[in-house]
Amino acid sequence: MFRQFQSNGGAPLLDRSEGPPMAFHEFYRDDFRPREHYLPMWEHLQRVGQKGLANKARDAQLALHNEGVTFTLYSDEGKGIERVWPVDILPRIITAQEWHPIEAGLKQRVRALNLFLKDLYHGQHILKDGVVPPELIYRGKDLCREIMDVDPPGDIYIHISGADLIRDEEGRYLVLEDNLRTPSGVSYMIENRVIERRILPELFSSYHVRRVEHYPDLLLQSLRDLSPRGPEEAVVVVLTPGIFNAAHFEHSFLAREMGVELAEGRDLVCKNDKVYLKTTLGLRQVDVVYRRIDDEYLDPLVFRSDSVLGAAGLINAWRAGHVALVNAPGTGVADDKAVYAYVPDIIRYYLGEAPILQSVPTYQMTDHQDRTYVLDNMEKMVVKAVAESGGKGMLMGPNSTAAQRDKFAKKIVEDPRHYIAQPVVQLSRHICYLDGELESRHLDLRPFCIYGSDIEVVPGGLTRVAVTRGSLVVNSSQGGGSKDTWVLAD
Amino acid sequence: MLSRIAESLYWMARHLERADNTARVLDINVVHMLESDEGLTEDAQWRPLLTIVGADEVYQALYPDGRATVQRVIHLLTQDPSNPGCIHNCLRLARENARAARDRISKAMWESLNEFWLVADEHLGAKLPPWRAAELYSFIHREVATFLGLTETTMMRGEAHSFVRLGCLQERADMTARILDVRYHLLLPDLSLVGSPLDYYQWGALLKSLSGFESYRRRYQNGIRPIDVVEFVMLNPDFPRSITYSVNALEHALTRIGYPPDGATPSAIAALRQQVVGVEPGAIIESGLHQYLEELLERLSVLGDALQSDYFEAHPGDVS
Repeated sequence: MFRQFQSNGGAPLLDRSEGPPMAFHEFYRDDFRPREHYLPMWEHLQRVGQKGLANKARDAQLALHNEGVTFTLYSDEGKGIERVWPVDILPRIITAQEWHPIEAGLKQRVRALNLFLKDLYHGQHILKDGVVPPELIYRGKDLCREIMDVDPPGDIYIHISGADLIRDEEGRYLVLEDNLRTPSGVSYMIENRVIERRILPELFSSYHVRRVEHYPDLLLQSLRDLSPRGPEEAVVVVLTPGIFNAAHFEHSFLAREMGVELAEGRDLVCKNDKVYLKTTLGLRQVDVVYRRIDDEYLDPLVFRSDSVLGAAGLINAWRAGHVALVNAPGTGVADDKAVYAYVPDIIRYYLGEAPILQSVPTYQMTDHQDRTYVLDNMEKMVVKAVAESGGKGMLMGPNSTAAQRDKFAKKIVEDPRHYIAQPVVQLSRHICYLDGELESRHLDLRPFCIYGSDIEVVPGGLTRVAVTRGSLVVNSSQGGGSKDTWVLAD
Repeated sequence: MLSRIAESLYWMARHLERADNTARVLDINVVHMLESDEGLTEDAQWRPLLTIVGADEVYQALYPDGRATVQRVIHLLTQDPSNPGCIHNCLRLARENARAARDRISKAMWESLNEFWLVADEHLGAKLPPWRAAELYSFIHREVATFLGLTETTMMRGEAHSFVRLGCLQERADMTARILDVRYHLLLPDLSLVGSPLDYYQWGALLKSLSGFESYRRRYQNGIRPIDVVEFVMLNPDFPRSITYSVNALEHALTRIGYPPDGATPSAIAALRQQVVGVEPGAIIESGLHQYLEELLERLSVLGDALQSDYFEAHPGDVS
């Protein structure tokens, strides 16, 4: 297909059968010429040629394989299967003009959501003022009563976040999910960059691409700043559930890049409201825990008592102010798929500003009118369980069978608080090099925010690709791929 | 450093060393089998290997007829999943421990071990034909040597490095003692046979499985004599697989790490040292080499336990 393209110089490669025609194409304009900022890339690819591209794809695959850049899939036996991280060698390119509103919009959103959390765990003014319905908060399972009235350092709850952005049919960036708990992917953002620069050096240097590899340094700086004993003394650890966790590669990557210990729950012990690491020279006090464990497993004394992943006493140590937890416990309540619909109101309420980034319209299943509409139009909807992530507990209306739709309709009627529905948004598409062919696939974008003394959004992010033709599911646990993301300097 | 990481580094090294030693013993036996004209039965040639690696019981359970055959022993020690100490499993564990301690070993070490594992796993996933065994064993030697070489050239000389050394040395001393014990047991009974061709090949095989054949020949000009072999393998401070060398190096690594107060390690290493200081090979043989080696293995195992309790299990009492 690629060769064919070269020979008739510029004819559209777009296969109209492979997806709905309305989806925005990142690479092609409507007349099927590459967009302006993709022209240098297109010319370069033609110079490299079919054979060169195949070699480069193989080199990239080999490098990832040998370096052990992996993620873990959970199998039926409960054991993890390690997979090599899939990277498509064609980068996604975002211009400076496109990037500015993304950056400003994400900062605005994180700032507002952080104020929302502070309010929920203190005065709850937003509920009293009727902006967010109280039952939405109280009926959900994510409000963490154990941390009411606790003041985390700097009033920051959401130190680390990684929202999922998609582009609608007009090419507008929309926020799909805020991911305020323990978002993954930043290590792959960096690994993708390292590989891409090695595989396509000339192309890379022909663009002025903004850097992303200082992320671990930014992270370390903001973690050290949180130390109750001051940044100079700070002992920082990354807390991982262990090597069978899907994101263990990332946990280890970040610990290594920051030069801090990668601890598991069994490496920690709490005494007198302080947290210690078990070392070869005895116990050593810990100041900051960047935990990559969900709230409910964090401390068996406060949350799930059967958890062996966390450390007993961690929450008390945090309440006593002897250790900083990143992110703070209880952020899940602001990242609930039902609360998501209210984020524009939340932004207006706390900041008095209009939202810069739009959200996907969301139907509340607790609302009678919304529910009736959704039940009548299931085949046009994405139905999501509010408590699930990673593409689980989800119904993709257009690809569903009548039996699947009936099953979800029943679930919605039984437990409306735990479902929301959204109209199907045709994620934007981009060309990918797959099995020796250029093909268009849907993708999304996850940029990463660090909320320290200020909010920083690293210029770039993880672009996830739905590798299956026509699929809108980009999750790596469901066979998704990825791309390096180039944000261009002004 | 984290106790758990120290433990992972230690076991990463031990498992690699064990895989290498097992491959070494098997390799030499395969070669020996090809050249052998002493009329030894297949069973007599292969059974000792089971004893060396402590797989007699697993073997008996798996093959109730009890006959040791080349195919069965190679399979069991190389890749049979029912033998937890098989090479395939040792490599898997070495790599898993390396993965757990990935932020403490150099990038070069991790990549070399990861590549090694991927290739080995591919070959060991299917049943290995015996004619490919020798090739696989030499691949394993080369890769382990590469990894240990990278450890020496790319790893900071700190605690982490010392725990890697501890794992290697402990396993090596253990294996050397076992090889000597089993071979000697089978070979020695008649001291009058010293110098006969059988001795030359059999004792030569022992030295080769410790990579010490050439060094021995250079050091001792009087042919291969059991008493000299015992001296060389046990007591030579410069032969890197000897017991004395291992004890010295273990002590050195422990000094770097530092002894915890009130720990069991200092007395354990002292007991080990006592076993090799001021002893004569003749006296050892006279009073029973087997007994002597059993005592040595016991002291090595006490040291292993001491490392476990002193370094790998921090106690909530020891706030520092």
